[in-house]
Amino acid sequence: MSSQTETGAVRWPHGARCAVALAFDLDGPTGNALIDGSIWRNPSFFTLGAYDVWRALPRLLDLLADQALPATFFVPAWIVETWPEQCRAIVDRGHEIGYHGYEHEAFWQLTSDDQRRVMARSREIFEQYLGIVPTGFRTPSGDWAPDTAAVLAEAGVVYSSSMRGDDRPYLIPIPGRASPLVEIPGRWELDDYASLAYQRNPNFPAGLDRIAGYAATLDNWRREFDGTHRDGLCLTTLFHPKVSARPGRLLLLERLFDHMRQAGGVWFARCHEVADWWLAESAS
Amino acid sequence: MSAEMPRWPDGARTSVVLTIDFNDIHDIVAREPATEGREKTLSVWRYGARRGVDRVLDVLDKHRLKASWFVPGRVAEEHGGLVRRIHGAGHELGSNGYRSEIFDGLDLAQQQEAFARGHAALADVIGEMPVGFRSASGNWAPGFDQTLRAAGIRWSSSWRGDDLPYFHEPRGAASLVELPLHYELEDEPYFAFNLYPPVPPGQSRIAGYRDVLNNWRQDFAGFQRYGLCYLLRLHPEMIGTTGRIGLLDELLGELRGQPDVWFATGREVADWWSATQPPNASGHPAEIFARLSGLQP
Repeated sequence: MSSQTETGAVRWPHGARCAVALAFDLDGPTGNALIDGSIWRNPSFFTLGAYDVWRALPRLLDLLADQALPATFFVPAWIVETWPEQCRAIVDRGHEIGYHGYEHEAFWQLTSDDQRRVMARSREIFEQYLGIVPTGFRTPSGDWAPDTAAVLAEAGVVYSSSMRGDDRPYLIPIPGRASPLVEIPGRWELDDYASLAYQRNPNFPAGLDRIAGYAATLDNWRREFDGTHRDGLCLTTLFHPKVSARPGRLLLLERLFDHMRQAGGVWFARCHEVADWWLAESAS
Repeated sequence: MSAEMPRWPDGARTSVVLTIDFNDIHDIVAREPATEGREKTLSVWRYGARRGVDRVLDVLDKHRLKASWFVPGRVAEEHGGLVRRIHGAGHELGSNGYRSEIFDGLDLAQQQEAFARGHAALADVIGEMPVGFRSASGNWAPGFDQTLRAAGIRWSSSWRGDDLPYFHEPRGAASLVELPLHYELEDEPYFAFNLYPPVPPGQSRIAGYRDVLNNWRQDFAGFQRYGLCYLLRLHPEMIGTTGRIGLLDELLGELRGQPDVWFATGREVADWWSATQPPNASGHPAEIFARLSGLQP
């Protein structure tokens, strides 16, 4: 692949040393409890999730604007239907929106037709409420059915950010199609659920493990970035506004972003820009 | 869309509310029935009445702060002297069912019965009617809010979804104000522990105390930055140990040193909110929940 040197380092636009594609999953109250309807007898859990759009998102958008950073938001279409005005602000403020299911369905458990239905319904909602057609997709829960890549390509998806197995983008060939899908993998180390998320009924973590110390969490995140910067790789985040854009934790994000900007030579990009770059580099 | 700055009394930037759940053994027995009859395990939670409550009272007194304590009716009956002492020190007392019942498994009539019995038992011990309520699990059946309003309850601290108070829908003539919770401002997610039966279910390590204090400090800095309502939820058997009470002492000392903090009980914040604030804005989690849950079968 021409975009990579022999040492595995990657060529990035403008001579940048590494790429950072900040990304946030705006799940709100979607997920199993919404899909099975149990959330309508669980206002404590519903409101915990709804905080995502109601309070966390606006403050996060302000923080990104203050730091002049672009981001990608993966948003279940149900969220757009329910809070159209709040979601429009994501687009108005220059960020990208990608697919993330209708109610955060686990794609690996869906039939091909059900996957197609979720994609088609999501596309209609994004067009109707936001006037956009996304090109990116992050799989709710990450896992794929055997035909998911083909379903995505058929739905016009150019890239996915669903897997965990690399720290650089890569191409996924689709049988019967000329163009591959770009994958921009994330890492659990940069998922705020792994350190900060906590909820009871339904329990997360399953064993109700402790909320991590904020200072240690920030140190972990900074070290992951430092490695990315040292080795010239591509970092994306699996952050959730309802988890890490809570009042005390916005300060963590702010310090992390400061640290990244001060490192210099970082290409901050929306995921679709990373995917387009990767496709162009691969073709050259 | 930007977070607006609310106006608290006297130009304060942030409000701070201390809530304390004094459940003795009833909450853990309701949540983990395997604990029933196991005296070593229950003694972990009995420690609150025996040791923790006094330590918490002493620290609150040192910082001249009034808290809002939620006490189930059965605890008021079994620890009447202690509950009267809390009340006599000027703290607010709120209802929490009769035995910290998990409302999720009860129908509306059973929830009403548990509430009425607990409310009456607590009122009997302290000689006045509480105006605050907390649902142990955070939930209740549709229509239960009307029960609370009819009983003179003016505020709840059970739901989540905001970091400012809000109104339960519909607002109606008798406002029911919610002072929402935040897991990161509770002591239980960090400290609750029993080896067997396991609490938490994964037998997680007890959190580092220094890390918890630093988290709470940083959370406060965030709440203050945006001018919010910083509401702690503490348990005397968890924060009131000889090693942990110092965390609360240090934190409250630092908050006391801030010039623009309004320290208030839940009742005071709720009354202020009712008197000064407009209805929830459209799109508020409580409004969406009321609208969409009404559509469900």
